Amino acid sequence: MLPTRASLVIFGLLVAPFATADEFFESRIRPVLVEHCYECHSESAGVIQAGLRLDAANKMREGGDSGSVIVPGDPEASLLIRSLRYEDIEMPPSGPLDEKIVRDFEAWVKKGAVDPRGDAAPSDQDNADGIDWDAAREFWSFRKPVEHPLPVRNPEWTAANWIDQFVQARLDAAGLKPNSPADRRTLIRRVTFDLTGLPPTADEVEDFVADPSPDAYERVVDRLLSSPQQGEHWTRLWLDVARYAEDQAHIVGKNDSLTYPNAYFYRDWAVSAFASDMPYDDFVRMQLAADVIAPDDRDAHLALGFLGLGPKYYRRGAPEVMADEWEDRIDTVTRGLLGLTVACARCHDHKYDPIETEDYYALAGVFAGTEMFNRPIDDTVKKKGPNAEKPQDAEHILREGKPRDLNVMIRGDVNRKGDVVPRRFLTVLSSSEPRKLDNGSGRVDLAEAIVDTGNPLTARVIVNRVWRQFTGAGFVETPSNFGVLGETPSHPELLDTLAVRFMREGWSLKWLQREIVLSATYQQGGGASEVAMQLDPANRLLWRMPARRLSIEAYRDAVLSAADRLERRIGGPSMEPHVADSTRRTLYSKISRLDLNPLLARFDFPDPNAHSAKRVETTTPLQKLFLMNSEFMNKSADTIARRTLDTAESLPSRIEFLYRELFGRRPSQSEVEWAESYVSTDDAEAWMRYAQVLLISNEMLFVD
Amino acid sequence: MSLSRRNLLKRSGAGFGTVGMLGALQSTGALSGMATAGQPGVVAAPHHAARAKRVIFLFMNGAPSHVDTFDPKPALEKHAGEAPTDDNGKKRAGGYMPSPFRFGAHGDSGVVMSELFPNLARHADDLCVIRSMHTDVPNHEPGLLLMQSGHQQPTRPCMGSWLSYGLGTENENLPSFVAISPGLPVVGPQLWSSAFLPGRHQGMEVNTNHVEVDKLIANLNNPRLSRDDQRRQLALLDQINGRHRQSRPADSALDTHIRSMELAFQMQSVASDAFDIRRESQATREAYGDTVYGRSCLLGRRLLENGVRVVQVFYVTKGGKQPWDTHSNNNEGHKKLCADSDKATAALLTDLKQRGLLDDTLVIWGGEFGRTPYAQMNKSKDLKKAGRDHHNTGFTMWLAGGGIRGGMMYGTTDEFGMHAVENRVHVHDLHATVLHQMGIDHTRLTYRYSGRDYRLTDVHGRVVSDIIA
Repeated sequence: MLPTRASLVIFGLLVAPFATADEFFESRIRPVLVEHCYECHSESAGVIQAGLRLDAANKMREGGDSGSVIVPGDPEASLLIRSLRYEDIEMPPSGPLDEKIVRDFEAWVKKGAVDPRGDAAPSDQDNADGIDWDAAREFWSFRKPVEHPLPVRNPEWTAANWIDQFVQARLDAAGLKPNSPADRRTLIRRVTFDLTGLPPTADEVEDFVADPSPDAYERVVDRLLSSPQQGEHWTRLWLDVARYAEDQAHIVGKNDSLTYPNAYFYRDWAVSAFASDMPYDDFVRMQLAADVIAPDDRDAHLALGFLGLGPKYYRRGAPEVMADEWEDRIDTVTRGLLGLTVACARCHDHKYDPIETEDYYALAGVFAGTEMFNRPIDDTVKKKGPNAEKPQDAEHILREGKPRDLNVMIRGDVNRKGDVVPRRFLTVLSSSEPRKLDNGSGRVDLAEAIVDTGNPLTARVIVNRVWRQFTGAGFVETPSNFGVLGETPSHPELLDTLAVRFMREGWSLKWLQREIVLSATYQQGGGASEVAMQLDPANRLLWRMPARRLSIEAYRDAVLSAADRLERRIGGPSMEPHVADSTRRTLYSKISRLDLNPLLARFDFPDPNAHSAKRVETTTPLQKLFLMNSEFMNKSADTIARRTLDTAESLPSRIEFLYRELFGRRPSQSEVEWAESYVSTDDAEAWMRYAQVLLISNEMLFVD
Repeated sequence: MSLSRRNLLKRSGAGFGTVGMLGALQSTGALSGMATAGQPGVVAAPHHAARAKRVIFLFMNGAPSHVDTFDPKPALEKHAGEAPTDDNGKKRAGGYMPSPFRFGAHGDSGVVMSELFPNLARHADDLCVIRSMHTDVPNHEPGLLLMQSGHQQPTRPCMGSWLSYGLGTENENLPSFVAISPGLPVVGPQLWSSAFLPGRHQGMEVNTNHVEVDKLIANLNNPRLSRDDQRRQLALLDQINGRHRQSRPADSALDTHIRSMELAFQMQSVASDAFDIRRESQATREAYGDTVYGRSCLLGRRLLENGVRVVQVFYVTKGGKQPWDTHSNNNEGHKKLCADSDKATAALLTDLKQRGLLDDTLVIWGGEFGRTPYAQMNKSKDLKKAGRDHHNTGFTMWLAGGGIRGGMMYGTTDEFGMHAVENRVHVHDLHATVLHQMGIDHTRLTYRYSGRDYRLTDVHGRVVSDIIA
């Protein structure tokens, strides 16, 4: 609200010596400010741009994010004047003002920038500078997880292990009870998909169903956990986190110098790390700093692909482009490993979480001191400096660069330098002084800060990621955001106890997976009572196991497996998964940032240009067109049809063969009847059409 | 320099609870796990009355020269050969190069364009020519990404995806967003990427090097099965899925899949029709011209007519991923390119108008930036073969239809066409204006990702209200 003209005059009279200067301001300066500046630079602006208010004398003197905008007496030194002249900043954005107006402003500043307007009351926002760190550390995810005492068991219910006691205590309190266990066919199908990403074979199902021993399930679990396919399956989860890809979104002409033709070395390293149950803390250490931790172990350095396969942007080398690349590294590391959105603090303090811009640049320094390295595969390849000349001859890893601390970039602008921030870990995750990250680039220090058992986030975040693979929903359904805008956990005591025990068990992911699948919670059936559906329709309290849709990887692999076409070779160069003759697991797909494979793109594969917190699930007709019409599906249906005709003679036995191979069960009476009226001959084409219907049915696409 | 958080919260403007309409439903769980094209097209109430229902962006890859097309600069004649200085005071290699093309005012409004657009001249009164565009960098890759997604790095959803996310589709049998390009332009599919928005807001890529519908849309038809075969398959599938569903009463996501399968079956015939320009009359096809760009425009019109929300046409040729990038032979190049672009673009406007679609269809024409008013010479220093270089501080785009004021020239560049000076319009402003015409407040269409609310215009953009009818 502007003061009235009359009151201004009175104000002017009270400060009589400046009456002329006031007049000048009122007639030449203020109207321009009102007309051209207030929209963005006043209290009434929805967003106060650049933190600069021009609607009160004190505010205008204070300036904004770039510091003061007026140096009374010195127009040349006044950012306001330079901006009006369109010299560095260009204001107003709609076009330069009349030269005459600019000259008025110059004259006004020269004469001392007299501003007769009153001061705005300091609002509460001005007092909030600085974060109360002790208070900030009280937020649930910043407190160290502790092991909770096990809740008392309800003797009426099956509790297979301690996880169930936590789950059932919550159910009890809500007046719910867990479902009875799933039948064995359902169970082996579920656990085989969840641990290996593949369906059980018909024989595996029948063996399990027929096995009377009390530890039959446990033996199945242990067999699956030790299978190489387990490593393949869990690698895909990790590759989403690591935004794994084999090229760049920008490829200029045929210039492949920034691509990663040997990216699969990293993927294969991850497969073997998961298969050998590398402790998660070491898994993280190696991916961040294997070159420093184990300088002589060349193979271990492939782990560095986690960052070494990161996006390289067009015109890299330019300061602003490198700043974008550091943001990618920070985003991947902090969301991926810590469940924190530190990249939000690049241009300003985090709006919700206690992360300051200084925290961001203190971390960015680590990546500024690290180089992307195309290490020559061996001594025979042509080199350019330390790098292999051609990416085809290289392992795409990291090496130490020149250690450096960065200036804060004000508003994220590389040209506006604030104070230098020494490299250090996040303040809120440090109980006192943040750990310095200053050995070399600081990557080893960073890795140690992340996997420190005192770090409240690392174990919780990975435990939550693993949990949601088994239940379809995490304790925290924002798996990469444990901050203020993230969800609060559905089962905080269970999450924390799992996290603490996980660390105590040597950060063993296989231990974690085993504990989860051996729980009665995991083994329960999918039934739904009306009462439970009303009390907890979203199943947050885990009273049932819902039908879950398979990922594109698991579905495609299951189709290949059902057709007995699946090639089981582990590792090696990548392939195109939509091609009819590609028979390797979907994990081995080429992953392109430039042109993602159309099959993957169509089925919710995440954009590999950035870290993916979790898969989004969509159901579209275009997906179904692939199922109905593609050569890949036709060929798979063909193969199955031929196997059926070759294996079984009678119509009922053929139908039964198909059901056992695809679903691990016998067909129902009605299913046999429908099949008999659909396909009644030995015609391979008709069997192909029938097999295809089964392949694209919901039973094939979902796991109970 | 530590900004207070509450302070920032206030400044952040677009804040809580302002996700896109569909997103709002998703985030409340109303559509969780099944926000899909299996749903009827989700066309939610817009922020304000929409003036346009659909958009077609005719994108001239490589960047057309503004001083040869819509922004005449007589001063270039007078100062021909004089070299302007660059930011460091160094003389630019080539001097100012006048356009060899005659300019004229057309229509009742007197909108000016060069003789390279004889057909478009007849639509002068429909065009709003913005001569004061500017963008951040003179490089194709970041320039293209900025123009399509509001950001120079390939990590953000493009405008078509935002519109699809905000407004849904009008025809559930077709994708809401289609990107038409004969082969890939520079940068490629990232230009129609949904990035962190759900995958179904991705532009569907259509390669107009082909005409046959089966080649335009992968897997549209089964090469081995007839429609009758598939009908029978689906009947059986319904029985099987129905039984499966019956024993899983709590898993309603299964219904979405059942419905989606039926939709796919419908889509085969709907899309077979919508994507087939051979169903157009000979006269119509001739009007657009039998060039790849002509066919792309014609296909675009068919799709708009069938309820596709956003069509992105990329002017790419078989041999060139950015044909308008005339670093050499600028004049000859523009003669040929404009002839093609003029004919098809004008035909599109005529056609949309005749069908009563122009009023609520926003047409956008332009490239990622402009070209230098001064020459770029090769070694021979032959002025006839001279080109023009990339130029980002002043260039031209035009809009038509969709509630935009026709017969208008908006903004100016300086005397030489070097810099936009009056009524400057940044790419973010263009985006804000397009969203505005579609009924969306660009500060309120947000998507929560990675801990913050993203929007097409980030923290920028203002609606250019002067050009709204």
